[in-house]
Formats: sequence, structure tokens, C-alpha cells
Amino acid sequence: MNRHDCLQALVPHISDQLVVPSVSGQWIWGELSKHDGNLLLGSMGNAIGVGLGMALALPHRKVIVLESDGSVLLSLFNLPTLGSLNPDNLVVFVFDNEAYSGSRISRPTATAGKTNLAAMAKDAGVSYAVTVRDIEAFNREMSLAVKEKGLRFIVAKIEETFEHRKVQRSDVDLLENKYRFVRYIERTEGIPVFRGRG
Amino acid sequence: MDQDLAKKTVEQLRRAGINFVTYLPETRLSSILPFLEAERFFQLVPVASEAEAITIASGASLVGKQSACYMEGTGLFVCSYNLLTVSVRLGVPLLLLISYVGSFADQRNSFRFAPTGIRTEAQLEALNIEYQLIANCHDLETKTNDAVRMMNALKQPVALLFTGDFTA
Repeated sequence: MNRHDCLQALVPHISDQLVVPSVSGQWIWGELSKHDGNLLLGSMGNAIGVGLGMALALPHRKVIVLESDGSVLLSLFNLPTLGSLNPDNLVVFVFDNEAYSGSRISRPTATAGKTNLAAMAKDAGVSYAVTVRDIEAFNREMSLAVKEKGLRFIVAKIEETFEHRKVQRSDVDLLENKYRFVRYIERTEGIPVFRGRG
Repeated sequence: MDQDLAKKTVEQLRRAGINFVTYLPETRLSSILPFLEAERFFQLVPVASEAEAITIASGASLVGKQSACYMEGTGLFVCSYNLLTVSVRLGVPLLLLISYVGSFADQRNSFRFAPTGIRTEAQLEALNIEYQLIANCHDLETKTNDAVRMMNALKQPVALLFTGDFTA
């Protein structure tokens, strides 16, 4: 199982959900999905917090966070906060390739050793936290998570591939993507996001 | 902090339109918390780190909330990465409510706080975040309204540094 296969399986399930990919997934996700409800962050350690804020502010709207092992390890304080607040409209997928896999490096993360992110989430109070190791199990968990209510934290153990190095990077910069996302929220929620006029 | 001042601070936040507040409890301004909790206008979000106070509030702002993050001055250093990589880089309106520990007018200043306090304004300037100091209730209404108007006009985080009477 690799990240591309998982994300490709997720694409047909996206309709009006809000999707927040962390930096490691956003190149592939950005290529696969042109959904206006994608908020690209371009940084590590921020996606769970941003997605959680959206889920709390719009409790009727499903929010999907696409995280990675290195990024979750950078912001472990998110886990007890997720467990305490327990928003039933948030799904966190963690694509765990057990590596810091950048454009030029490949070094093991703690999950290559003894660290188990699903177990950590569970002990932090996230009652539905599982690890999946093949695409069939991922598809089963993913389709339930997208459809049903309840906070879910799904760790997908994936192979480290270097596909992200081959993906042509988007020319939509982060600010442009933000405005597109905000206008999508304004359109679909019927509320102003940015106040004030020129 | 005087109870009346705490109540006025919270009332002013409500009047300025703030309706979503993330917070990590600290000492100086802690009297505002019961008033925030008592006012259903605010959606309150307790966090485990100032870093996620910023990311959670940023997520809420991007879907329509008028968000504030309440933290101790030391927390500014904890969340600088998140401010820079999310709120400043993307341009997200946020009101930072910072208890200015270790400032000149901090009425409980000590060797524990001063080394952080003297670097607080320089840190905000390095992050390119506009800020105002508030030392007493006379400035409260104007500076809170000004800060909320500025954060929305700039689409950036703006900070209020609470010192003086707020630190008693």
C-alpha cells in the first residue's frame, strides 16, 4: 500500500467535505483533487490543529485531515486535545511510511521503531484509533469514516515511495489556495469569512 | 487582576465581535476565564500548547469565526513557528491576547519573567505582527476595537499585550 493508492481511493468520496493535507500529502493530493474545499498548508505539524478548528467551528461539516508520521510527531500535544474535545465530524488519516521522506532524504521516524501512533491517540482519549496495513482495510475504514459520525484516527502503514518527488508541483500558491477555500466556505455556508470591504 | 476589570475585558471582546477563543491558562489574566465561560457567545477551546491555540484558532477563522488566542507571554515563543507557518504566511485574522509577563509594568515581575518579557516585543516585530500595549481600563474599549479592526483589515494576527493593572 502506498500514499498515492490511498489518496486515489479517497478522491471519489469527496463531495462537500473540507480537506486539510499536511505538506507531505499535499503534492499528490493537489494533483489528484481540485476540490475547492482543500486547504493546502505547506508546512508540518499544523494540519490536525487547523482541521480541528474547522471541525469545532462548523460542527455540521465533515473535516478530513491528511497527515503523516513525521508531522504528527512534531505536534503530539494535538492528541490529548483531540481526545478531550472529541469532535464527531473530524477524521484524521495518518500516512505512516516510518520515514522523514523529503525531496532528498530518507531517514527513519520513531514509528519505524517502537512508537505506535494509533495506540498513543487511543491512550490520549481518541476512542476510535486504528492501524491499517493493506489497501482493503484502508478502503473499509476510509469509506466508513467519511460516511459516519464520530472522531476517527486512522493510521495507514504505507511503503515509502518517491512518487512525490516526481509530481509536478502546483502553481497555485498558498495564498491563492486560501482565498479559493474561503470563497468556497462563503458560498456553501452562506456566511462571510473575511470582514470588511475596500 | 481585579474582577471588575476582568469582566470589562470579556465584555469588550464580545462587543468587538470575538466569538471563538482558544486558551492555555496562565496566572495574570486568569480572572477572565470564568467570565468567558459564563458568556455563551464565546466558543471556548482549552488546549495543551500555545502552538495548537494558534492552529485551532486559525482553522476556525478560515471558516468564519472571529478568533482570539489567550496565552501567557512565554507562549508567544512556543507558538512562533505556528504563527509564522500558518497565520502569518496564509494571512489569517487572529487576535492574540497576551499577558505581558516580565514587562516594565508587570506588577508581579521577577527574575523568572523579565528575561522573557524583554524579548516579547522584539519577537512580535520579528514575526511582523502589529501590537498594542494595554495597561488600564481606560484604553480597553478603543484598543480592543482597534485591534479587531486591524486584524480584519490586514488579514493577519494582531496582538494585545496586557500589562499594568491587568497584571496586579
